[in-house]
Amino acid sequence: MTLARRTLLLSTSLLAAPSLVRAQAAPIKLGTLTPLTGAGGPYGPVMAACVRGVVDQVNAAGGVLGKQIELISEDDQTNPEAGVRAARKLIDVDRVSAIMGTWASSVTTAVAPLAWENKVFLATVSGADSITLLPHNGWLVRTQPNTTLQGKKFGEFAVAQGAKRIFVMMPQTPFTQSQFAAMKAAAEAGGGAAELLIYDATKPSLRTEVDQAMRFRPDVIVAGGYTPDTSVLLRDLYRASFSGKVLAFAYAVNQAMLGAIPKEVVEGVMTLAPSPAAGSGGYAKVQALAGTQAPDPYTCQIYDHVNLVLMAMAKGGATTGQAVHDNIRKVSQGSGESVDTALDGLRAIAAGREVNYEGASGPCDFNEIGDVLDVKFRYEQVKAGALTLIRIA
Amino acid sequence: MISYLVFLAVIGGIYALLAQSVTLAWGMAGLVNLGLAGFFGIGAYASAMLVTWGGVPVPVGLVAAVIAGAVAGLVVTGATLRLRDDYLAIVTLGFAEAVRIIASNEIWLTGGTDGISGIPGGFPRDWGLGFHAAWMGTISVLVFCVWFGLRRLSASPWGRALRAIREDQTVAAVAGKPVARMKAEAFAIAAGIAALAGALYGHYGSYIAPELFAPLVTIYVFLAVTTGGNGRPSGAVLGGYLLIAFLEATRFAAGAIPGVTALQAAALREASVGVALILLLHWRPQGILPERNQKAPLV
Repeated sequence: MTLARRTLLLSTSLLAAPSLVRAQAAPIKLGTLTPLTGAGGPYGPVMAACVRGVVDQVNAAGGVLGKQIELISEDDQTNPEAGVRAARKLIDVDRVSAIMGTWASSVTTAVAPLAWENKVFLATVSGADSITLLPHNGWLVRTQPNTTLQGKKFGEFAVAQGAKRIFVMMPQTPFTQSQFAAMKAAAEAGGGAAELLIYDATKPSLRTEVDQAMRFRPDVIVAGGYTPDTSVLLRDLYRASFSGKVLAFAYAVNQAMLGAIPKEVVEGVMTLAPSPAAGSGGYAKVQALAGTQAPDPYTCQIYDHVNLVLMAMAKGGATTGQAVHDNIRKVSQGSGESVDTALDGLRAIAAGREVNYEGASGPCDFNEIGDVLDVKFRYEQVKAGALTLIRIA
Repeated sequence: MISYLVFLAVIGGIYALLAQSVTLAWGMAGLVNLGLAGFFGIGAYASAMLVTWGGVPVPVGLVAAVIAGAVAGLVVTGATLRLRDDYLAIVTLGFAEAVRIIASNEIWLTGGTDGISGIPGGFPRDWGLGFHAAWMGTISVLVFCVWFGLRRLSASPWGRALRAIREDQTVAAVAGKPVARMKAEAFAIAAGIAALAGALYGHYGSYIAPELFAPLVTIYVFLAVTTGGNGRPSGAVLGGYLLIAFLEATRFAAGAIPGVTALQAAALREASVGVALILLLHWRPQGILPERNQKAPLV
C-alpha cells in the first residue's frame, strides 16, 4: 500500500513538474492529427513536417502575441478509434487550442464532436460532404473542396475531352456516391452517360473489374482511388489494352507513383486536383518547406491551416480555440492586405492592418458552414513519364 | 488530465469486454475467433441504428445488440461446425471482413462509409466530465458482471466440459458431452459479449463507421488476452486495461525520446507492440495470470 501511494505521489509530481516549469512561458499549444501510419501514411508525415517548419519560422520571429508555439504531432493511424484516443490526448493532456490536418473523413467525423465540445478549433483536409453539415457551430473549417464540386469538375473535364461514355471506378469511401452523382450530372448535361463501379481497394488485381468496365465501352475511365489501388488499376487497364483516356486524382497519380510503375502504364493519364495558381507565394513556400517541386494538396492545405490559426489568434488577441473560432474569417477573407504566410500576416496585424490570407491551396475563403469557396483546379497529363501542366481553371 | 484518464478507463473497459469474449471462445473452448471485429461491429450497428433512427432507449439498444451478436455467432458456428483450428480462424476472419464490406456498401441500411453520427449517449453530453464518469461507472459495472458470470461459468460443470472439448473433443464426445451444442453455446455467448462492447463504444463515442471494425481491433484484443492469460477471465480483464495503458504510454514514451520526429515516434510505437509481444511470449507464454488447474473434488 505504501509502495502504491509512493508511486502515485511520484507519478503525479512528475506529471505536474513540466507544467510548473512551463507556467512562466505558457506557450501556445497546437496539435496536428495526421495519418502517420495506415492508408494515409504516404501523406501525413509530410504534412506534420510542414507544420513544424512553419512553427519554427514563426517562433524564430518572436512567436504570436509574445508567446512561443509548442507543436504536438499525433498519429491518427488512419483509424477513427485510434484517432479519437490521440485527439483526447491532445485536448485533455496537451490542452491544444486547435487540431489541424485530420485526413480520413471517418477520423474527422469521429474527432469533430470532441473538438466542438471542448472548444478546440478543427481544421481538416477531408472532403466528405457530410462533414461540414455536422452541428459544429463554426468550430470546423476545411480547405478541401467538397466532393460534389470535385465531381462536377471531373465530369465537365471528361466532357471537354470529347467523352460520351464515362466509366467511374472508385473504392467505397464517404465521398464516392456524392462525387459520382455530380460527375454523372455533368456528363449528362454534356450529352454523355456515366456508370459507377465500386471496387475493393485491397485487392491485388482488378482484372474482373476492368473487364466489366470494358463491357460498358467507355471512352473515358475515371480512376478515383488512392495511390496503391490506382497503381493496380492502371496496370490492369494497360494489360486490357484500353485505348481511351484515363482521368485520375493528382493525389493518387503523383511523383511517387510515376517512379514506381512502368512508364507506358501511366503514360497519357490525366489528373485533376484542387490547386492554387502555380507560382503563388504560398505554394512556393510549401515547395521550400516540403523540399519538393510538387507538394501534395494536403501539405499545401495544412500549411494554410497553421497560418490561418496563428493569424486568427493574433487578430483576436488571445490564444484560445475560441479566438480562432471568432476570428478565422477576419483573416482568411475580406478586403485586407493580401498575405501568404503568417510571418507577414502577424506583422500586418500587429501594425493594426487588416489582412486577407491567400494560401498555398487556394484563396482560403470560407462560407458559414466552413466549406472553402472559389477553388481553382489544376489539370495535368503524364507525358514521357512526367506530369505536365495542361491548364489551371 | 482527469478526463483523459477517465476516457482511457472507458476504452480500457471496452477492450476488457472484448478480451473476455476471446477468453470464453478461445481460452475456454479453443475456438479461435478472428472475426471479433465483425461481432463488435454488429453490436455497434444494431444498437446505433435502433436508438438513433428507431428512437428506442439506450438499454433496449444494448439488449438488442447482445441478441444480434449472439444470433450472428450461432449462424457462424452453424456454418463452421466441423471446422477446427486454422479453418475456423480463416472463416471467422472472412466473416468480419464481410460485415465491414456490407456496412460500407449497403448504404440504405447502414449509412455506408459516412457511418452513423450523433448516436445518443445515454447520459447528457453537457455533463462534461460527469458524462465520462457516468460511462466509466456503467462500463466498469458491466465488465465486473461479465467477469463474475464467466468465472461462475468456468467453474461450473459446463465450463469443465468446455475445457475438456478444448483439450480433445473426441474424448469429450465419448464421455457423452454434446460437443457441437456446447461449442455453439460458448461461441454465441462470446459473440454477444463482443457485440455488447461494440454497442457501448458507439453510444459513448457518438459515431461509428465501418473503418472502426478493421482487423486491427481483433489483433489488439488477442494481444491483450495473450498478455493477461487466455484461460482466465481475470487475465482477460487485466489484459484489456493493460493494452490501453500500454498503447497510450508508448505515446508519451516515444514523444519523450529527444530528436525523434513524429513519424519515427509513430513507427516506434507500432514496433513496440510487436517487441512487447515477443518478449512476453518468451518470458511468460502463459500470460500474467495463467489458467489454474481445478482440483478434483474430494469424494
